[in-house]
Amino acid sequence: MLYFRSEEDIDRWCSLWRLERGAVLPIDLGWKLARAWYSEDRRDPRWRRRSSQEVQSLFASLGLTSDFWRVT
Amino acid sequence: MDNEVRHTVYDVTMREGVPPSAARVAETLGTTRESVMASFLRLAEARMLVLQPGGEILMAGPFSAVPTPFEVSVSGYSCYANCIWDALGIPAMLDADAVVHTNCADCGERATIRVTGGEVSGSGFMHLVLPPRLWWTHIVYT
Repeated sequence: MLYFRSEEDIDRWCSLWRLERGAVLPIDLGWKLARAWYSEDRRDPRWRRRSSQEVQSLFASLGLTSDFWRVT
Repeated sequence: MDNEVRHTVYDVTMREGVPPSAARVAETLGTTRESVMASFLRLAEARMLVLQPGGEILMAGPFSAVPTPFEVSVSGYSCYANCIWDALGIPAMLDADAVVHTNCADCGERATIRVTGGEVSGSGFMHLVLPPRLWWTHIVYT
């Protein structure tokens, strides 16, 4: 997951590497996703990875509902 | 055993910014390096760690054990994240202010993203090539 200055940079980079454009998140939405994903304390012995359903719900809570974000 | 290893890995990583070696975890827990390496392997199979070819930790998400283009200044140290999402994940995990230093993957322009008081400032975009269902199949590429 790379950082780009602009959407034009993303398009140029995808063209250069012959890759389809994937999902693009503005940095403020990326921060919300990072907070939702990483705010749990992984030192806690009760911590476990989220289930597929939980991950899907997390994405949906941030409006990430396109087919790209389908977990299974 | 695996819970203790994971606790030690994240305890060290969150305080120092770099995942510890198996030898250090073994010393902390009073066990052998071999048993810690075996635990690392189980944690990797459970998708909680990503290992280097030799069995040491490569990624204890969101932290990287090796230098990357995503440098994070946070909590009195500088460390490396695995990707731009993880670079933001470090201040999220530590609940701390941070400055992320990276570059545009296309034009190379230097970028600084700040997290202060739970708010992010800075411009730009995060681009994900692979959909979530493929992340762990190609975790390093992701």
